[in-house]
Amino acid sequence: MEDEPVIRSATLDGPLSLGRPGAAREETLDRERALDRFLAGIARRAHRIASIALRDRTEAEDAVQDAMIRLVRHYAQRPEDQWRPLFYRILRNRITDLQRRAGVRRAVMAFWSGGTADEPARDPLEDVADARGRPDETLEGEELLARIEAVLATLSRRQREAFLFRNFEGLDVAQAALAMGCSEGSVKTHYFRAMQALHGALGEWQP
Amino acid sequence: MNEDEMRELERKSRAAFDASVEAGDAATGSRLAQARAAALTELRHRGLGRATAWLPAGAAAAAIVAAFLWQREEAGMPAAQDPAAYEDLDIVAGGEDFDLLGEDADFVAWAAEQVPDGVG
Repeated sequence: MEDEPVIRSATLDGPLSLGRPGAAREETLDRERALDRFLAGIARRAHRIASIALRDRTEAEDAVQDAMIRLVRHYAQRPEDQWRPLFYRILRNRITDLQRRAGVRRAVMAFWSGGTADEPARDPLEDVADARGRPDETLEGEELLARIEAVLATLSRRQREAFLFRNFEGLDVAQAALAMGCSEGSVKTHYFRAMQALHGALGEWQP
Repeated sequence: MNEDEMRELERKSRAAFDASVEAGDAATGSRLAQARAAALTELRHRGLGRATAWLPAGAAAAAIVAAFLWQREEAGMPAAQDPAAYEDLDIVAGGEDFDLLGEDADFVAWAAEQVPDGVG
């Protein structure tokens, strides 16, 4: 069967199929199926990462949903291998927005209650069950993750993002740099510092 | 922290994270599935021709900016000397994706480079 004529566009919008009724519809369906697979595969991980960053599961759901919609709305036509860093770039921006809004909310609440927004936050590590009662055991599973989350909450935003994207999501350095909007060298530095902090906090329970 | 310790910590923390993702509750999974469906519904309604969707809004915005600049000059006010003012007009008139422009320029440049050979 002879191939249908295809005109390549001069933009990032991908090929434009001409001369075959329904070709555009088929293209949309193919993209829809590919996006469905991509979003299904990434949703739970993205939600978990957003939950750790925001420390709020409901806001994390909103952030992930927003990232899904924005990806589909604006980047559906991009090559599939771009979707993951694009998605995390969008999600990161959404998380940052939500964190800023939370900061404003805290400032307003502090103003009306007569306090200050700069009051030191409770140390998240205090909320984690202490494993010192079992010195012969190493931290595993949920206990280890809870401890890691608590340590991540004490790190700078950049260090936390570097760890979440590199270690938890498995983005390579280049993808993480693009998702974070910084250089690859910066990703390596932030990631190493995050690992140092985690090792310092968890080291005594590691083998 | 030596290399082996770092690799071990990476491995264990990743495994703990993966396990927590696997153990996610069904209610959250259901809401995420609904979110996914909502996003894809939008694609179904809009199709892939999103670039043209911005054209009417872009043209209208460009007309407003152009009218403002024209009035400014008519009123004897000095014309904008900052080239950025005209770059803004170009962006608006170009019907570009405003959300995309909100991302960093280096990222946009990278994405443009990722277009496979044969496109463009």
